[in-house]
Amino acid sequence: MIGYVPGHSPLHRAHPYTTLALAGALLLGAFAATRPVEVWALVGAAAVFAAAGGALRASARPALLLSLPIWVLLFVLHGLLGAEPRMVVGPVSLSVPGIARALVLGGRITAIVLGFLTALATVSPHRLVEAMTAGGVPFGRTFLLASTLTILPRMRERAARILEAQQCRGLRLGGSVVARLRALGPLTLPLVLGALAEVDEQVLALDARGAGSAARRTALDPPPDSASQRALRRVLLVLVVAAYAWKFWRMRG
Amino acid sequence: MTARVVLEKVTFTYPGADGPALADVSLELRAGEVLVATGASGAGCSTLLLVATGFAPRVVGGHLVGERRIAAERCGIVFARPWTQLTGLCSSVRDEIAFGPASRGLPRDDVLAAAERAMADLHVAHLAERDPSQLSGGELQRVVLAAALAMDPEVLALDDPAAELDPEAADALYDVLPAVAAAGTAVAVATPDLERAARVASAAVVLEGGRIVARGRPAEVLGGTDVARIAGAAGCPPPLPLDVPALLRRVGR
Repeated sequence: MIGYVPGHSPLHRAHPYTTLALAGALLLGAFAATRPVEVWALVGAAAVFAAAGGALRASARPALLLSLPIWVLLFVLHGLLGAEPRMVVGPVSLSVPGIARALVLGGRITAIVLGFLTALATVSPHRLVEAMTAGGVPFGRTFLLASTLTILPRMRERAARILEAQQCRGLRLGGSVVARLRALGPLTLPLVLGALAEVDEQVLALDARGAGSAARRTALDPPPDSASQRALRRVLLVLVVAAYAWKFWRMRG
Repeated sequence: MTARVVLEKVTFTYPGADGPALADVSLELRAGEVLVATGASGAGCSTLLLVATGFAPRVVGGHLVGERRIAAERCGIVFARPWTQLTGLCSSVRDEIAFGPASRGLPRDDVLAAAERAMADLHVAHLAERDPSQLSGGELQRVVLAAALAMDPEVLALDDPAAELDPEAADALYDVLPAVAAAGTAVAVATPDLERAARVASAAVVLEGGRIVARGRPAEVLGGTDVARIAGAAGCPPPLPLDVPALLRRVGR
């Protein structure tokens, strides 16, 4: 499941900025971490983050599906074709530094994907818009961020409708990999062309409803923020800065 | 009645198009009036609405020649497909309808009052807490019209608004228009649905190839349309009595 899932978890109740700050800290932290143990500590933190949002089950499967091809690629590139020294596991000779590198890169991707999917599942686009409106953020930027959070579920719904229509016209989905790949054509073309056609109407509809107005939008129901959440966001910022300072200090050493 | 929109010898060409979509069109749209524009597909009815509401060329691009005066600060537009006109950012019908007034920067209480008023006018108050994406097409189109009305538009354009609706929902939607016009809004409807259009229109134009080929009272203009002509040639009664004598003939007096 990719997209917002209504719920009452601590992350659902938190101010949207707090949840996004946690996901952002995971992303930045993943790039600051250079050792497998550090990266995998972040993967663990991402799993705790997902569990706190009640989204571990919903996020883990798509995170795995998204990360798996990258893991395979990393294993081949670094594990099999990496530098010396090598170790032999059964019939396979593996690069020791290559495996460590693959663990770092793969762990980063996993932590980032899991964090991002959890944020998608727990940040209500409507609450985010209200929070940004209350903060005086121009609607253009608000729309850009919020529509990023909603684009995947909307595309999925649209794809499901197109798929049903094409199946009614005799499209077969099963069979070999080649047959499945061939079935992608009748799905993707109407998906993309339909989305482009509808964008025109949506732009007009939003403009007619004042989306481009210079007036400051009125926030109707801004989510409550608290001193402790603001403090947590500052702590996360300090931790990220410290992580990068530590990384660069180590690189100089 | 105050003229809200005046077009004098207006020609409009879409970006990249070989020829104009509207040619040499002169028209006046007054407050309190329901103007129906009809014609074959590609005749220029939708373009006429975009030009009359100022969205063309401001939003859609293109090139306009001639004189156009729009004496309205707020122009609303409703298209045939309701789901393309949702913001995608609101989790309830009330928020969706309040989106426009909130964009104007009105005080919160005024925004909510405008939304409640529009919901009452369109009989969608019972849907206030529903997720817009879960509504039927008919419900959604009424919500979209309510969202347009909540902006308190001086000009309201509807582009084939009942195309996706069942007959009952289409009747309900058209039934609202005279009251909207009576409140001082200039209403323009582009539609091939002559039967319903004739019921609510106070003026009508027929377009062909981007030019107005007939204009006047609905009974005069729509009675001479292809539908009526074809019905007459086939020996059938016209789809609807378009004036009192025709109505009396229909009922046998």
